[in-house]
Amino acid sequence: MIELGGATPRPRWSLRLIAAATAAVVVMGLLAVKLAQLQVADGSRLAALAESNTVHRVILEADRGIIYDRHGVPLVENSPVWTVVIVPAGLPSDAAARAQELVTVSRLAGVAEPKLADALFTADPYSSVDVATGLTQAQELAINERLPELVGVSLVQHAVRTYREPLVFGHVLGYVGPIDTADAKRLRDAGYQPDEMIGKVGVEAGLETLLRGRDGWQDVQVDARGKVIRVLASQEPVPGDAVYLTVDASLQRATASSLAAGLARDGKTAGASVVVDPRTGEVLAMVSLPAYDTNLFTHGISRAAYDSLLHDPDRPLLNRAIAGQYAPGSTFKMVTATAGLQEGKITPQTLLNCPPYINLGGWIYHNWASYSLGRMNVATALATSCDTFFYQVAAMVGDVTLAKYARAYGFGQAKEIEMPGVMAGLVPDRIWKQIQCGVPDLNSDACRWSEGDTITFGIGQSYLLTTPLNQAMYAAALANGGRVLRPTLVHEARDATGRTVLAQKTEVTSTVPASAGTIQAVREGMREEINPPYHMNYWFRASGVPADGGGKTGTAQWGGSGLDLPTHAWFIFFAPYAQPEIALSVFVERGELSEVEAAPIGVDIMKFYRGNIGAIRSGAP
Amino acid sequence: MTRRLDRTQALLAGALAVLGVMTVYSAHADWNRQILWVLLGAAAYVAATVYDYRRLSSIAPTLYGAMLLMLVAVHLAGHSALGARRWLSVAGFPLEPSEISKLILVLVLAAYLARHEQISWRVFGGGLALLVPPAYLVLAQPDLGTTMVIAAVTLGMLYLGGARPAQLLAVVAACAVALPLLPRLLHGYQRRRLEIFLDPNQDPLGAGYNLLQARIAVGSGGMFGRGWLQGLQGQLGFVPERATDFVFATFAEEFGLLGSLVLLTAFGVLLIRVLRAASVAPDRFGELLAGGAFVMVFVQVIQNVGMNIGLMPIAGIPLPLISYGGSATITTLAALGLVQSVVVRRRPVVHPESERRGLGTISRRAQA
Repeated sequence: MIELGGATPRPRWSLRLIAAATAAVVVMGLLAVKLAQLQVADGSRLAALAESNTVHRVILEADRGIIYDRHGVPLVENSPVWTVVIVPAGLPSDAAARAQELVTVSRLAGVAEPKLADALFTADPYSSVDVATGLTQAQELAINERLPELVGVSLVQHAVRTYREPLVFGHVLGYVGPIDTADAKRLRDAGYQPDEMIGKVGVEAGLETLLRGRDGWQDVQVDARGKVIRVLASQEPVPGDAVYLTVDASLQRATASSLAAGLARDGKTAGASVVVDPRTGEVLAMVSLPAYDTNLFTHGISRAAYDSLLHDPDRPLLNRAIAGQYAPGSTFKMVTATAGLQEGKITPQTLLNCPPYINLGGWIYHNWASYSLGRMNVATALATSCDTFFYQVAAMVGDVTLAKYARAYGFGQAKEIEMPGVMAGLVPDRIWKQIQCGVPDLNSDACRWSEGDTITFGIGQSYLLTTPLNQAMYAAALANGGRVLRPTLVHEARDATGRTVLAQKTEVTSTVPASAGTIQAVREGMREEINPPYHMNYWFRASGVPADGGGKTGTAQWGGSGLDLPTHAWFIFFAPYAQPEIALSVFVERGELSEVEAAPIGVDIMKFYRGNIGAIRSGAP
Repeated sequence: MTRRLDRTQALLAGALAVLGVMTVYSAHADWNRQILWVLLGAAAYVAATVYDYRRLSSIAPTLYGAMLLMLVAVHLAGHSALGARRWLSVAGFPLEPSEISKLILVLVLAAYLARHEQISWRVFGGGLALLVPPAYLVLAQPDLGTTMVIAAVTLGMLYLGGARPAQLLAVVAACAVALPLLPRLLHGYQRRRLEIFLDPNQDPLGAGYNLLQARIAVGSGGMFGRGWLQGLQGQLGFVPERATDFVFATFAEEFGLLGSLVLLTAFGVLLIRVLRAASVAPDRFGELLAGGAFVMVFVQVIQNVGMNIGLMPIAGIPLPLISYGGSATITTLAALGLVQSVVVRRRPVVHPESERRGLGTISRRAQA
């Protein structure tokens, strides 16, 4: 069948076969040239593209530090929140199966189907799209169970700050929120991600560097559907430090409820109170009302809810304790007294008249009483809060010296405390008033410091402003004999291994340049004010709290000069008298009568303190 | 008989098939099945070698009829995938008639042209007429790529068969006239592919994605490749159709420029051997048969490799012997087997000056 044998024939290469062979060689050569260009000339660039295609860096979020009260009561927690993530390219390629899967996801995650489809098909098909966040536990469980059959769908967990009792601790803790573009740019070198949460206000912002921790990362290889194939390298996250505040949770609650009750009693809506330890500067309680739910900010606030907070006339977002600036009124009289005594203008025994008004160059300056209270010494003048007595002392001392003593007591000074937004208040003097004018004009009443400015300065009016925090530190300085302490909210911070990285230490920022006798005479006036025969003693008796300590009320006018101006009510207090261990300020916005509106709130706080002194003063964690 | 075999061709076909299985394995396709295809293809190769190809000449009309029936059957009872209806189910195995039609058309054209020593205009027109029905049926699947391959096979065989330059130029002129009509004839996705070929960056995550990812894969192979089973783009699924249309990208990423050059050289030598078979064929039918097999393999290699490296627009053409797929693998091996059958039956012509070589053959025989 086959013709075997014979020699090998000589191939008969026709011209056309040679052309075909040539074509084959030339084309293979062309393909080889193009390959060499791709694989050698462009090789490293394309290899880098392949790496960036397949190797992704996943950020491992560090747990933010927990904030505790001074006894270790947690005030915030990191609650897990589950998010459904879909990589569009990872969904089934079959249209019917994909539609079926999306129906399932939409049902389980409670997302409207059109919204889901919209989110997916407008996104980069190879990116991870968050389609539903903040799942309930039931939703999370239901999706988790079906996960194996839901191709391209995954559940991602991350932590969200949840504040306990935000209405009580909100102004102290503040809240975290998404980093804004300016901060993101500023903090990029510190490793902040553009979608990271950062402390916005309160201690959350003030202690950001301690609380944040350090994010870890994982370099993972992913396939085209975004599925992780293997981990190439990783760095574990370092959790943020645990922060133990100086605040006592129970005293904070009592302060908040006493203040709220006091405000409600008199139909007021805003106020603040700060309680400190006059020996150390530790803040035991800090309350500003009205409060607001800080969890709204961490869990996603609606536009409407935010607008209503922003436009509420009571300004709930304002932490009045540190940022509300008001005239101190009569609570300032201890400064005037200190200046008069220390400068030798009066002695503790000097008696001055307390007339219903004094006439200064034709201007009438009234006392709060329309009748004469007679002659009195400085202690009694403080106890009765005689305005005309201190007009005279202020006139003797002069505005410049008065300003010096005010600053020495910490007025007009923004306290360094562990939160942003602290306001300084204002200590005015003649230079300040000239500068205020814009174009200085020595003959204008608006620019020229007048004698009237000096004497009203002496009773805590004129242009003087202070904050509830400054007032508490002022009370503390009066309590401890003239040392102005730096207020602090942090008792201790510990890292993840339990090592103490920050411990509270007492810092004196200034000392009042006054002798022990001077301070003693001033304190004596504050002690008299809360004791018989003065009627403020009524609140102590009514509450069963011993009137052992020193207090001063103040009803400060605001909104200009003249009679019948609106007022704010103040009360500052320290106790016990001999070895003070607590000092506080109470502020009632638009309060009309400080003895009736502000003082009972302070007495209420003291009642709780005395009743729970053992627990409050027990050892730290 | 084995002495007369073109062993180089057999070895290269085998080596390419082994590389094919390795690459298919690396591309996470069903490599067990690919081994089965290669074994079936090897059986077809042996059977074709043994079979006297000259008998095919007489049954060519029957084969042509059977091919048309299969292509019509695809339209009536075919399975579809990726928007095209291409597969018939035969005893549980998918059969792709358009793949087989490439070889059958080679046989039919070889038989037809072998009957005419001179290619007159009438014969030339007859050759083109044979192309029209299968081309229409394949284009309607729709499968533009295979249509282009069988058209190229027809033209190539007409050329090798001795068509006059004027005739070939007439076809080229006709194509040039038809070119402006092309956009209207193409399906939406085909037009899209052509646009993407012209500018792959215009839609990097959509239609251009395949092309870019394949190019990235090829390039990232570099000089020496990432190593077998070590490719990133191919292993992790960024290369689309990594075992079939873009199998070359998978290969080039893992074996680098060196491996790619080896592969191209293997194809080049194989093609030259097939042409050599044409040159030694005992008759015009055998010569045209081998020439047709050359064009069939050549066109597919150019198109597939060219598409993978961005020199050709995307068309679903397998890389012979490398891509995953039963019909294509078996068809290619059967075609090479037929070429072998031509070699085995080569002319026993002894030229005067080749006697020494003949003696050499005898002396080698004596040593054996």
